[in-house]
Amino acid sequence: MRGFLAGFGLELRIVRAAPDALMPLLTAPLFALVFLAIVRQSGRADLEADALLAPVLMTLWWVALQHAGHLITGDRWQALLEPVIATPTSLATILLGRIAALMGLGLLSFGEVLIVGKLVFGVGVPFEHPVEMALTLLATAFATAGTAIAFAAVFVMTRNAYTFTNSLSFPLYLLGGVFVPVAFLPGWIQPVSSGVFMSWSADLLRATVKRDGIGDFWSRLAMIVALGAASFLLGRLILFHVLARMRAKGELATV
Amino acid sequence: MTRVAVTLNVMRNAFRAGLADYRAIFTWKSWLAGWYLRVIAQVAFFALIGERLEDDEKTMYLLVGNSIMIAAVVGVFSLNMTTSERGAGTLPLLVASPSSPVVVFSARGAYLAVDGALSALAALAVAGPMFGVSLPWPDVLAVVPLTGLVAVASYCFGTFLAGLVFRFRSVNNLVVVTTHVSLMAACGVNVPLSFYPEPLEWLSRLLPLTNGLLGIRGVFGGADPTTILGDAALEAAVAVAWMTVALATFNRLAARGRRDGSLEFAS
Amino acid sequence: MPDAVEVEDVTRVFEPRKKKDERVVALDEVSLTIPEGEIHGLLGPNGAGKTTLVKILSTVLLPTSGRARVCGHDVVEETKAVRPLIGIVFGGERGLYWRLTGRQNLEYWGALYRLPPAAVRERTRTLLERVGLADRADQRVEQYSRGMKQRLHLARGLIGDAKVLFLDEPTTGMDPIAGREFRTLIGELKGEGRTILLATHDMVEAETVCDRVTLIDRGKIIATESPRSLGHVISRFQRVDVEGAPEPVLGRIAALEGVSAVTRTEDGGARIEVSEEGATAEVLRRLVDAGVTSVRTSLPSLEEVYVQLIGERGLEV
Repeated sequence: MRGFLAGFGLELRIVRAAPDALMPLLTAPLFALVFLAIVRQSGRADLEADALLAPVLMTLWWVALQHAGHLITGDRWQALLEPVIATPTSLATILLGRIAALMGLGLLSFGEVLIVGKLVFGVGVPFEHPVEMALTLLATAFATAGTAIAFAAVFVMTRNAYTFTNSLSFPLYLLGGVFVPVAFLPGWIQPVSSGVFMSWSADLLRATVKRDGIGDFWSRLAMIVALGAASFLLGRLILFHVLARMRAKGELATV
Repeated sequence: MTRVAVTLNVMRNAFRAGLADYRAIFTWKSWLAGWYLRVIAQVAFFALIGERLEDDEKTMYLLVGNSIMIAAVVGVFSLNMTTSERGAGTLPLLVASPSSPVVVFSARGAYLAVDGALSALAALAVAGPMFGVSLPWPDVLAVVPLTGLVAVASYCFGTFLAGLVFRFRSVNNLVVVTTHVSLMAACGVNVPLSFYPEPLEWLSRLLPLTNGLLGIRGVFGGADPTTILGDAALEAAVAVAWMTVALATFNRLAARGRRDGSLEFAS
Repeated sequence: MPDAVEVEDVTRVFEPRKKKDERVVALDEVSLTIPEGEIHGLLGPNGAGKTTLVKILSTVLLPTSGRARVCGHDVVEETKAVRPLIGIVFGGERGLYWRLTGRQNLEYWGALYRLPPAAVRERTRTLLERVGLADRADQRVEQYSRGMKQRLHLARGLIGDAKVLFLDEPTTGMDPIAGREFRTLIGELKGEGRTILLATHDMVEAETVCDRVTLIDRGKIIATESPRSLGHVISRFQRVDVEGAPEPVLGRIAALEGVSAVTRTEDGGARIEVSEEGATAEVLRRLVDAGVTSVRTSLPSLEEVYVQLIGERGLEV
């Protein structure tokens, strides 16, 4: 727990000193405006809430991919990975703390889109099922964090990971159905998409702002958590092997 | 050599240097898998919104707008160039050389305009048929130079921004991404200009992308050639205007840097 | 009680990453024992294998063969037991979070060494004072000078209250005064009963603070001695640089016992190399008698001593 908190505090302090990680908090309101403009111009008031929720999910994805995914690589380049490994605290625990801080910051985008929607278009998110909504957001943040650990473990072994992750954002928004439900994607992609926790998150989140009851809420929530936990375990496994390999080859530090 | 020949020679060499940098990042395989995949995904992401709205016309609108948006996205990457030049410590060397840094920069980054235009057109060519949007032949050929203009104008705008944030290297990436989404919101990419309040409409006419995109939509809508030419002329004027401001900014930066020593050899 | 550090026949080979690169044997069957409470110097030129050994002992690198233990715990298998016992200071400016203040850096590492929050705060405060950074504690590390970063590194290595400290070139970039303070600090740490392995290429540093020194070169241990006998070894190989000495005088000096070489330098001066104790005094007397006063004596570089030592013992270079 101490390692988790240390990581959490570290990341908050780093972000405070260098707010690059907050980039999606600048773009989230802009994306909200773009999406709202599209549905408003088409006269589809029923989709306005969806237009506001999409940027929140995009923000979480972005943070996982562009920031959390590079935490290990960044430490390695700064010659921090070796001293971290040499402490009695496990790297995965510290990482989880750091990523949790990032996810917490990412969730601030929810407040932003609420404000922008109200100020510019006079639109809000109808809180039809507030408890379910909060749970869905939390489960989504958890699952995103789990996925981010897997990203971080893979990226540290990948050359040019930065170029690569820049290109992954929109493909993942698409597969995750953050705005347009996966049902609108071509049939052959849909099986892939249903393995992506974000598609479950997006569908469930959209259901929580509709007046109708939410079908199978708990099992759908469990699916998000399960997919997130699977990513987390997979991430830990990859991390374990990657670190063992680097320790054997002497690659924990860059020259 | 004449002055023009000298300048052309400088530009040719700078272009080659830029291309070499670019090749170091991308091979054609990684371009397809890394970059083009994202381009198609981005265009498809927005076109699908049209499908969700069950409005074919809107799908077409979003598809064209977001394809051409790609040219602007790449053009604006010129923002990164001065910073990387600064990081490499080559900037003062450039200032000290007998060539104008702006000439060097613009030639060095010209590959961005080429890449932007090609990416946008490739997006249109592939995503169009995917969403059942027909591209009227041979009118569609007129889209090629217009897209090139959009890429160049965005490139000039990015260079201007580079001068603006020159002293704050850490915000560079922030500015690039915010500019992308702002252009997406303000330039008639996703909704017609008439949707905005009137002052905003005028403002967006001053930005790159807006006029060129109008011209391209004109081509698809079978508009009068003079209207299209007018849009093209406006896009070109916007490009020239931003490049002029960029030039002035950089000259001031260089002058100030020589005075206060802020042109470090390494930073 | 087990020794603080035991190294048995440790070999570490770096396989080439690219085909054209060569296979590097960074450590070649190195054995070394450091009893508890000793300050042990690991002295050698760059590339000798010092850092490799420190990395293996601090659990971040695996040996290719051989065994190493810290306080009786194997560094390969029992990392969980080793890590709480050790503190590491790698040289250089990297290895700190630049965007954080000195205090925030130490607090973070303190937590990773599982200290309770109150203890972290207290230790951070005392350590910052101890390394002379108390005034600058709340400034970001990116504003620190090289020497200040180096001192923060040292504090970082001490935050976990380690029994065994591995210091790899800890004074790189420190100014002479800070270097002296560092040596005082090492003395204090010894007084607290800690064991220290100090890797350095600075002979004076090794000589002044270490109980014993191991000379290492090209992955092999050449000798383990007390600094006094090492100092003996080194001062035996003194050299004398002179200007304007007449040729006949130099000729007579060259014939003296204990003078191993006299060479002309490019600027018209000469260098006299001495290989026996006491010979220097005789050389100096002869020079002064001949009216030569532009004389400078100096110690050879570490590498030169190696060559001498290795040559004497008939080892393969």
